[in-house]
Amino acid sequence: MGTEQVVKLFRDITTQTLIEALAVVLVAILLVWLSQKLLPWLAERVHSSRRLFVLALIPTIRILVLVAALLWIVPLFIEPTVQNTLAILGTAGLTIGFALKDYVSSLLAGVVAAYELPYRPGDWIEVEGIYGEVRHVGMRVVEIVTPSDTVVFIPHQKLWTGLIHNANNGGVSLMCVVSFYLAPDHDAHEVRRVLEDVALSSPYLKLSQPVLVVLEEQPWGTHYRIKAYPMDPRQQFQFMSDLTARGKDCLRKMPVSFARIPPELAMDLGAKPGP
Amino acid sequence: MTDENHWHLIPAEEFSCPVTPTITRFQQGWRRVLRIFGLKDADDIDSGHNIGLSDYREFDRAPAVSALNGHFEGWMAEGRKEVNFLLDPPFSGTAAIARDWTWQQGWTLLIPPDLSQLRAVAVDEWWQQQRPQGVPWLIDDLARYLLRSADGLRFIRVLLPRLLHGDFGQGLVVCDSWTFAFLQRAWPLDLPRVYCFAPAKPVLLRQLGIKGSDRQLSRLAGQVRGSAGMALAIWTCQLNEDRQLPSLPLEADEGTAFILYALLLHRGLSGERLQAVLPAMAPDELNVQLLRLEQFGVVEWEKQHWRLSVYAYLAVRDFLDGRDYLLDDF
Repeated sequence: MGTEQVVKLFRDITTQTLIEALAVVLVAILLVWLSQKLLPWLAERVHSSRRLFVLALIPTIRILVLVAALLWIVPLFIEPTVQNTLAILGTAGLTIGFALKDYVSSLLAGVVAAYELPYRPGDWIEVEGIYGEVRHVGMRVVEIVTPSDTVVFIPHQKLWTGLIHNANNGGVSLMCVVSFYLAPDHDAHEVRRVLEDVALSSPYLKLSQPVLVVLEEQPWGTHYRIKAYPMDPRQQFQFMSDLTARGKDCLRKMPVSFARIPPELAMDLGAKPGP
Repeated sequence: MTDENHWHLIPAEEFSCPVTPTITRFQQGWRRVLRIFGLKDADDIDSGHNIGLSDYREFDRAPAVSALNGHFEGWMAEGRKEVNFLLDPPFSGTAAIARDWTWQQGWTLLIPPDLSQLRAVAVDEWWQQQRPQGVPWLIDDLARYLLRSADGLRFIRVLLPRLLHGDFGQGLVVCDSWTFAFLQRAWPLDLPRVYCFAPAKPVLLRQLGIKGSDRQLSRLAGQVRGSAGMALAIWTCQLNEDRQLPSLPLEADEGTAFILYALLLHRGLSGERLQAVLPAMAPDELNVQLLRLEQFGVVEWEKQHWRLSVYAYLAVRDFLDGRDYLLDDF
């Protein structure tokens, strides 16, 4: 494409056009900035599904503002004919293909993530062994905060090839699993009943969700798991601590003894997914 | 006011709350928005100024007792060894009505188990100490028969089947509506013969001595979710322009929610039992929360028990609803 042809693609650019485009860009930036500041602040003050709804508005608003700004600005500079569009797409494709492949791949994955929703703000996800709460879904990266308060930036690009584990998938129900390991010689029915009551009496428990106690016999003893849901996914660690502390307290009063698992077996146990 | 008695007993599943007026919903929504922005309604008070309002419990219960008598007359005459359940929304006065009625009938009022009996699931020991002598009996507050702790739920699970089998003869069990909602989760069997008083409507409010237009009384009935006792309390508050309904402190957090839910579920708790229900909260933290709630007029210390204030009930219900707690159906 010669210089003359490239020039033909564009309209006459006047100062007024430039000011208008600049104003649109500034307003778009301001709207996105405001949504990214105000909505998380608002989300911290509401609870349950309302919080997740408010958080989910952030990426949606950003995309809508971006699309609206592009639809406004592009016709200011370019005559929107089929020929022009194809020419620009071809040029842009070449540039992107060679120079900004990874960056644009992440941007596109970000757009896909906005409608496929593999993660939303407020979700608890695990990507490549890193678990945390999604705090912000940006254009290129998703920002998660781990339980140890470390912020991890994960490029959306992982969406194409990686496995994404989402613990609550946009909802407010997140199952927690708490394990107890007992020596084999005991009344299993009684232990199950006690552990069920341990869960039912936790103030963190979401009573509208089921509580399940499952057990599995192992060579070293019996592995019990309480499966239950906290009121709020953010309470999962306090909930699990509460169940563990009170479960231990109750089990200590019963004629049962805790299993002593050799360290090498304990490591295997940690790697094995629950039923 | 007419001589007609507007107290009626209905099966609990037929209860439906009177429609909340739009203005009340708007006010509730406005208060929620103000709380989000850390502001308080100008009408809200931040201290226990409501202490001293006329007692909502002192109303003429005779017509309600008569309704209870009319409903259970046939069942009493048959003398079947079975129990009926009567649901008692907070501050509705149902337990007091049931006590009046069973006292007239000469029934025995059963004493709740103590903490050691509750934990040891000593149902037989508890029954022996009642000495019912073959007469029908009344449990006036089933919430006293459980404690939401790992060792406090089994007593009621053992007691309920025995009550339903008729092991203890004929009786009436008054159960708080919040306790009932929790029990349906902890002991998932649909209990038979569960009744409650029909929701208060303007005619019943007039019978109670509340004077106002139909519109005012419909609005009041909707606001208090059809509870007669609540209607009296809120109406007294509205009559007195210096008195306003308390609101929750802006610092209210998940710990506050735990305490308020525990108090509603157990219909008030002593400090010791509250600590047993919430062992994850340090005693100091529990005390700070309780004292703050007391300063705001949300809870009261009465007869060695922490209880929810009647004037704060609606705000507390709304607060717990916003956090997805299991609410009662009333």
